[in-house]
Amino acid sequence: MECAFGITGKDYVLLCSDMAAGRSIIRMKSDENKIKALGPHLAMAYGGEPGDTNNFAEYVERNMRLYHIRNHYPLLPASASAWIRRTLAESIRSRNPYAVNLLLAGYDTTTSKPHLYWIDYLGTKAVVPYAAHGMGVYVSLSTMDKWWFNDMNKREGVEVLKKCIDEVQKRITVHFNFNCILIDKDGIHNINIDSQDPLAELESESKAASGDIVVDAPNSPLDVGVTA
Amino acid sequence: MENNGGSVVAMIGKDCVAIASDLRLGNQAVGIASNFDKVFPVNDKLYYGLPGLATDVYTLKEHLRFRVNMYRMKEEREITPKTFTHLVSSTLYEKRFGPFFIEPVVAGLPTPTELDPHPKPFISTMDTIGCVTTPKDFAVAGTAADKLYGVAEGLWEPDLEPEDLFETVSQTLLNAVDRDALSGWGAVVHIITHDKVITRTLRARMD
Amino acid sequence: MARRYDSRTTIFSPEGRLFQVEYAMEAISHAGTVLAVLSKEGIAMAAEKKVTGKLLDLSLAPGGEKMGGEGTEAWMGGGGEKIFLLNNNILAGLAGITSDANSLVNFARNSAQRHLFTYDEDIPVEMLVQRLCDMKQGYTQFGGLRPFGVALLYMGWDPIYGFQLYQSDPSGNYSGWKATCIGSNHSSATSLLKQDYKEDLTLEDAKALCLKVMSKTMDSTKLSSEKLEFATMTLHPTSKQPLSKIYRPSELDGLLRDLELGGTAEDSVGAMEGTGGGGGGNVAIST
Repeated sequence: MECAFGITGKDYVLLCSDMAAGRSIIRMKSDENKIKALGPHLAMAYGGEPGDTNNFAEYVERNMRLYHIRNHYPLLPASASAWIRRTLAESIRSRNPYAVNLLLAGYDTTTSKPHLYWIDYLGTKAVVPYAAHGMGVYVSLSTMDKWWFNDMNKREGVEVLKKCIDEVQKRITVHFNFNCILIDKDGIHNINIDSQDPLAELESESKAASGDIVVDAPNSPLDVGVTA
Repeated sequence: MENNGGSVVAMIGKDCVAIASDLRLGNQAVGIASNFDKVFPVNDKLYYGLPGLATDVYTLKEHLRFRVNMYRMKEEREITPKTFTHLVSSTLYEKRFGPFFIEPVVAGLPTPTELDPHPKPFISTMDTIGCVTTPKDFAVAGTAADKLYGVAEGLWEPDLEPEDLFETVSQTLLNAVDRDALSGWGAVVHIITHDKVITRTLRARMD
Repeated sequence: MARRYDSRTTIFSPEGRLFQVEYAMEAISHAGTVLAVLSKEGIAMAAEKKVTGKLLDLSLAPGGEKMGGEGTEAWMGGGGEKIFLLNNNILAGLAGITSDANSLVNFARNSAQRHLFTYDEDIPVEMLVQRLCDMKQGYTQFGGLRPFGVALLYMGWDPIYGFQLYQSDPSGNYSGWKATCIGSNHSSATSLLKQDYKEDLTLEDAKALCLKVMSKTMDSTKLSSEKLEFATMTLHPTSKQPLSKIYRPSELDGLLRDLELGGTAEDSVGAMEGTGGGGGGNVAIST
């Protein structure tokens, strides 16, 4: 009863997840954040068995943070995906496996390329330009097949994402609220996908930033983007 | 096996071997990625394919890379196809009672040595717990294995030159995979010869 | 009484010193010189071989005829005595007790492969240096064992910091350098490097500087592949991935001839007649 999407573009990656939490047909919450920031340029949308999801997400988050503290630089998206995949692959053959599916999105600051990984609870990993998890796959993958193209700019990417969400609202009986982020060279940004122009806020932000630079907080290596 | 789908085929030619795989990664009936290569190089004379459960494809590939790298550094030479086959086999048998769901296929050209100046091209395949078979013609594995057997049986002939072998292995794979719902979505073919490896990506039916 | 604080590695002397560690460093300063120079385009490293001689059978050893190579070939035809490939992206030059060095090389290679296994990326250079130094440090503190009598120069590349050059010693200390030297005559070599190092060196300059300083510290008139190992770490021109190259004897002799530093074999160099400051003592156990 959940759905998450990821879309890569020219120099950014979008990640979007529903905000429902509950059991079977009962919804107990419709504002649950199921996207977690794992580093300055890395985040994941996760879903699966309710208890496992948060526990696993926090386990990953803490390990990414530990790596960052120890080495003074964060794990790159490709290596983070390998670590997460291995963790799940080892878990699946353990006594009590995690049942967590996730989409990992990141921006590689060394090559300036966006990354998106589709990972499931078995430890299966796919490196993909766009992906979905949960009930949304049945309607959104075909939408993305049709509308996605190489090197989309931010506006075009958000358009595709909106089309996916519209399709979900139209074809899936359950109603969802959506939570969305965008990762680019400047880090992780929250995006209000329901607003008329989801990128307006982001663009005005970057304009302000290009002017007088606001003094960075001291000890910036520990500042790991927005916390979920 | 049927969870993610995927197939691999290897064939022997005249002083060359071919190994090819499809590119689909699925989640049951849903296609997830069309860039999931299941064939990996050990060196420029030896390749192997790992069709089966995709999580184990990664895990086994990484295990084997570790072991081959340590072998290379300690022995200070490249591993031979035969030794590599046994390395894969024992790696699989280590997990005898909780196996990797993979049926590997190995294809390589042994380098000539003093003892064996004219080694024959080598292919081998294994079951999920590492029982080795070394065919003299072709090896198939994956969800389209039964179809591959049929087509390969009809198309393969002995002593094919590299370009003819390429045609044979490509047609075998593409036609077998078209009859399998879980394999397909593109293919990649490697022809290993003594002086080079030819790698080509094939267009296939994308449905 | 002199032995009072000598016998255990893990006990401080009243002056606050760890004698065994200092002795280990002393052992290294008799070993064959290793020096390396960093440039924007890559790193060059030269090392002095001490175990040479007509009767020494090197035909099957990695340092034999097939020594050297580029890329994956460097994995197999390792330098043999002084320069080793630790990982795809990291080469190391060693000075000290050979057997200790072998064990450290093995540990380093294992660590690098473990990192590759868990993160699917080449280990960052500094992280590998830290792995080794953590282990080296352990032997100055625990268990009444002897510390490793080995110092290393590491040259490597990773996507985060690019080309890097590090040095580590038996105490487990490490530091990053633009050009540095370990082994015999290291202080005079370092001052030579300090004089001639320029910020905007090309790789060719770095190679030349490396060998020029080497020719001065080795105090022999001519250099040749018989007494020298040489390696570079660069980026592959097209793939932009790290490319390590351990020079084959013929390539090194060619380079030496171009730089007019030698490159022709000398008639007789026997074991124990080796050059360099170390001179006496059992050179066979130390490289």
